[in-house]
Amino acid sequence: MVKQGKYEAALKIIMKDLPLPGVLGRICPHECEDACRRCDVDEPVAIRNLKRLAADQFDPRKIDIQCAPARDEKVAIIGSGPAGLSSAYHLARKGIKSTIYEALPEAGGMLRVGIPDHRLPRQILDNEIELITNLGVELRTNSPLGPDLSVEDLFNQGYKAVYLGLGAHKGINLGIPGEETTGVRQGVDFLREVNLTGKTDIGRKVAIIGGGNVAIDVARCAVRFGADEVQIIYRRTRKEMPAWEEEIQAAEDEGVKIAYLAAPQEVLVKKGLVCGLKCIKMELGEPDASGRRRPVPVKNSEYVVDIDQLIPAIGQRLDDSTIKNVTDLNFTKWGTIQVDPITFATDRDGLFAGGDMQTGPSVAIAAIAAGREAAESIIRYLDGQDMSAGRAPLTIENPVYKAIPENQSVNPRKHMPELAIEKRAGNFDEVELGYDEESGKAEAERCLNCGYCSECFQCVDVCLADAIIHDDKPLDKEIEVGSIILSPGFKPFDPSKFDIYGYSNFDNVITSMEMERILSATGPYQGHLLRPSDRKEPKKIAWLQCIGSRDNNRCDNGYCSSVCCMYAVKEAVIAKEHADYELDAAIFFMDMRTFGKDFERYYDNAREKEGVRFVRSRIHTIEEDPATKNLSMRYSDEKGNIIIEQFDLVVLSVGLEIPPEISELAANLEIELTQGNFSKTSAFEPVSTSRDGVFVCGAFQGPKDIPQSVVDASAAAAAAGEILSASRNTLTKVREKIPEINVTGDRPRIGVFVCKCGINIAGVIDVPGVRDYAATLPYVEYVDDNLYTCSQDTQDEMTEIIKTKNLNRVVVAACTPKTHEPLFQETLVNAGLNKYLFEMTNIRNQASWVHKNCPELATQKAKDLVRMAVTKVALMEPLEEAELQVTHTALVLGGGIAGMSSAKSLADQGYETHLVEQSSQLGGQALNLYKTINEENVQENLLALIDEINKSDKINLHLNSTITEVEGFVGNFKSTITTKAGDEQTQVIDYGIAVLATGAVPFLPQEYNYGNDPRIITSLELDKKFIADDPSLKEINSAAFIQCVGSREPDRPYCSRVCCTHSISNALELKKRNPDMNIYILYRDIRTYGEREYLYKEARERGIIFIRYSLDNKPEVSIKDGKLMLKVIDHVLDLPLLIEADLLTLATAIIPNKDEVLANFFKVAMNEDGFFIERHVKLGPSEFATDGVFLCGMAHYPKPIDEAIAQGKAAASRAVTLLSKETVNTSGTVAKTDPSMCSACGVCIAICPYSAPLFTEAGPFAGKAEINPVLCKGCGLCVASCRSGAIHLKGFDNDQIFAQIFALNEAA
Amino acid sequence: MSDWEPKIVSFLCNWCSYGAADLAGVGRMQYPPNIRIIRIPCTGRMSPKFALAALREGADGVWVSG
Repeated sequence: MVKQGKYEAALKIIMKDLPLPGVLGRICPHECEDACRRCDVDEPVAIRNLKRLAADQFDPRKIDIQCAPARDEKVAIIGSGPAGLSSAYHLARKGIKSTIYEALPEAGGMLRVGIPDHRLPRQILDNEIELITNLGVELRTNSPLGPDLSVEDLFNQGYKAVYLGLGAHKGINLGIPGEETTGVRQGVDFLREVNLTGKTDIGRKVAIIGGGNVAIDVARCAVRFGADEVQIIYRRTRKEMPAWEEEIQAAEDEGVKIAYLAAPQEVLVKKGLVCGLKCIKMELGEPDASGRRRPVPVKNSEYVVDIDQLIPAIGQRLDDSTIKNVTDLNFTKWGTIQVDPITFATDRDGLFAGGDMQTGPSVAIAAIAAGREAAESIIRYLDGQDMSAGRAPLTIENPVYKAIPENQSVNPRKHMPELAIEKRAGNFDEVELGYDEESGKAEAERCLNCGYCSECFQCVDVCLADAIIHDDKPLDKEIEVGSIILSPGFKPFDPSKFDIYGYSNFDNVITSMEMERILSATGPYQGHLLRPSDRKEPKKIAWLQCIGSRDNNRCDNGYCSSVCCMYAVKEAVIAKEHADYELDAAIFFMDMRTFGKDFERYYDNAREKEGVRFVRSRIHTIEEDPATKNLSMRYSDEKGNIIIEQFDLVVLSVGLEIPPEISELAANLEIELTQGNFSKTSAFEPVSTSRDGVFVCGAFQGPKDIPQSVVDASAAAAAAGEILSASRNTLTKVREKIPEINVTGDRPRIGVFVCKCGINIAGVIDVPGVRDYAATLPYVEYVDDNLYTCSQDTQDEMTEIIKTKNLNRVVVAACTPKTHEPLFQETLVNAGLNKYLFEMTNIRNQASWVHKNCPELATQKAKDLVRMAVTKVALMEPLEEAELQVTHTALVLGGGIAGMSSAKSLADQGYETHLVEQSSQLGGQALNLYKTINEENVQENLLALIDEINKSDKINLHLNSTITEVEGFVGNFKSTITTKAGDEQTQVIDYGIAVLATGAVPFLPQEYNYGNDPRIITSLELDKKFIADDPSLKEINSAAFIQCVGSREPDRPYCSRVCCTHSISNALELKKRNPDMNIYILYRDIRTYGEREYLYKEARERGIIFIRYSLDNKPEVSIKDGKLMLKVIDHVLDLPLLIEADLLTLATAIIPNKDEVLANFFKVAMNEDGFFIERHVKLGPSEFATDGVFLCGMAHYPKPIDEAIAQGKAAASRAVTLLSKETVNTSGTVAKTDPSMCSACGVCIAICPYSAPLFTEAGPFAGKAEINPVLCKGCGLCVASCRSGAIHLKGFDNDQIFAQIFALNEAA
Repeated sequence: MSDWEPKIVSFLCNWCSYGAADLAGVGRMQYPPNIRIIRIPCTGRMSPKFALAALREGADGVWVSG
């Protein structure tokens, strides 16, 4: 705050706790500064001096102090020292106006009479006492406790509580002979006289006994009063002296002498006056209880000091003469008041105490804290609440600090300017002059901000939604659960430890996450493509792949992070879209791993159409031109040539890693981790951790992208559901059903709610103007504007308003109905209105956000839109939603590993399931597989799964079967299953949901001489040999693999995802069988994503040779003289290489079944490659757009066993969200025919894509069209096509749309 | 240059173009405020009468998108 010159705001924060900022800014011993972490660099930040600067710059009396409404109870405070003032201040803020009784003629306690003006000017104290009395606190000076005023009197006068803050004003005697002589005075008495009268008789030669600040204060006063010699006598050394170093220094500067290691023994008296002091020298012995070394007299070292004034200042204590006899007020053995340490309540009901009288002499800040705590207690006491509840002393365990930068430069604290020594004599002008603004700001700049938040509370003021609660505390809760799902995510790799990329030092080297922000409309440059150093558009950008991934040398992340290639391609394409100039975007990579669904196509497009450059390379170093901040990158290309290229911006494609706190969580939960610190899972239980009942999803399971994370998440939910199905619905609450009010025939009473959306709308559009305009529209009975109409409290408010104002139609002018309509409709339902009596109009996405430069026109547009919505909503009628019973039976099509997993999960969750498999056995393609990447035996695990399917009494297995008909809709499907085993049999089944797990098949190639030689086989054929343990495999001397056979080709432009890992795994298996075998893998990019990368590394270590080829230079396979020969161009040498192989394995593509009939049955779509299209690529990967139909396995996309099983479970999980319901509601916005108008032309029946209209078969309207509301999607195609005008679309009927059109042009 | 500003009425499909108009907002793309959007459930709902009505009401252009 001070750094920014916000002195008023700074004072406001200080004064939340402290009523005396200027006082404490001068005299506080600032123990806080000892804790300052800048001490580790040089000196602490001068926190006290900065607080003083705030109080110097802004008059604290002008601070607006918020007080609770005034209360009637009276509270008396005895003593106007810091404790009394603080309790009065805090009581006043809580609504209690107290009365302070002060014994002396002036208020302030020790602040007034114990501290001389050169340290604390009177005016400062006066001002700050004034700010307290300004709050309504009454101050009565010259009102000591005594015969005329006792504590009992106060209670009798009606004070509900009394606070004692008498302080410790009585000096402690030295206990030496002659102490009673004239010329001997207590330091506190001396200071009191000086402060109250401004004068005193000081004598010529003064000795002061003591080493605290009082002794120094006395000495410095004595100097100012003109004493010739002022000497302090202290029994220990300077090191032990409790006075502050700067005070000691100032005293010495002003001429005070200090005698260390000396103690007084006797006051020498002449004619009744002090004439000298006998002292003895001391030495330091063993440490005493305070840890300081105890001073011990040195024998025979007595000496005499010539003095005429002696002022002992060795301590103060409570003068208890006036309170000794108060009933139930008890004292400790040290003579202080006994109180509860938390509440400061004495043993007497309603009597509280604090400050020096309770602690013994201490610092002002302690007394102020005690006063604040007592005020809290007094309020609770008055309210009859528990005074100590929730007030345990604050302890901060393991505070988290930002590390101090290693290169933090030393910058000592700013010197406090002082009054010149020669100007100090004879006056009490303030010595410490305070920082000026400039040095204060410079001092504040020294703060390292190590605590992250500086608690300036500016965010609290700025947040319109009051969402920020600073003093929120962590709460421990215990919840009983049957299962735990871990989805703690990952941390982007921090590249600052790599010096070769210069991330820490070069402005224009950023991470991919930072690039995402730069490309975002809500990012630092509002979506403009700019670089950080100069905010200029970069002409050349480089992306560097595998930063913190696939790297065992510089970091320990040997795995592939799976997502970086694809996001880099995406960022490059988007950057090019954002740049309206020729942008050179280049991606520097080792292998391009675009193995996800439709990713390869995106890569091809980026390379060929968008012109993104892809450079296969290794980066050597990056250097920055200090003048231009451009970057010079040195790299070697595939051929080993060293190239230096200049870039304006370099993006580091950082990988995913598991941060230590997640590893720690795993350790606490006793979960095993993999080599890469991911949760250990098996291929057959891909979301189960090593601990029963604990499941995992997302990047903690392994580095993965969004679709796979969503699949895992659903799968984990299913896994938990399988073990908890018995307790389903036992902890759910049933929503209270509000009866719907019949508004049919009622005159419209419309409520219009205009949303500000914080500043999103209100920052552009004149929201109150729109609101007031809405009030002028017909039928509008109520208008309001809301900060956030969607917030829960506004929803509750709206419900009440609808009820109390009898509204029967509602318009919300806010954001988009696509996201928020259901929320507001629910509010209508809660208020007893049909949810279709609602219209939402979009004044944010389609007005304020897109017209921010013309607020007036945007406001006009908003008014028009509100008018159109009001006109339409007046015509809205309550609509009915059909309620359909859900058949709690599932159909799973496909008995492969995904379908079986899905069926098993559905059955385990308690649902009857039909599993339909077209072949004669379960297992699908997994029957051909040998082992998983974790060396798990596929056949054994597959048999176990098949066995469980066979044993399940919930699963009806239909082998050799297909479905030949599908009727119905979500919750109510009906199909015929045709079984061809011997005689053809048919069975009709009813089911609520369907899962399509129809799999995929291996591609059989025409190239590479496949089929012409038994030595040339596919990957699956090699697996079969492994399964059969074919002995000939051991005899092979040379084996070769060709990757991407049929994949990533122009007519099949997708990656089959599993083949790289499969070939490497099989190559390693061959090596196991014959370690001397020469093995060659001919590849285009190795795509061993995630921890599969470890296999790739192992393969290279075992001597398997990887040779890259390109699509335009594919390997040639020939058979000459019985020899199987491969010719390939070596990518490093650029020379042809001849390999003789005994076995050639072709890693062939996975191709979909392309079952058009099935797709038509369920009205689901397939992509260009023939894989099914999911509802949403990222967020709905395991379900179709058609309600009640789900998707898993290779019918979605090629995938390995673990991912197929996860998706099988995921589909089941999604299905259960429907199956677990008793009923489903259809939409009310459906078409309806008016049969009397229908001419029975049949056009609607012909054009409806959902088969909703049919001719009525019987009754008075036989032959006319009628629409099944359950099948109708409400598109309105039939309405527009109906030449008779017989069809109405509820919610979007002609009159409603015309009303909007007619309202367009009304003069606003 | 005259001060004339066209009035455009657009009928946008709820599932595609209306969503696109929302996204244009999310992306803070700026365009002139001359357009008034009417959300329809599908462009299949669009009737020629709507376009004619809009023109009769003073629209200078009608845009149907879906």
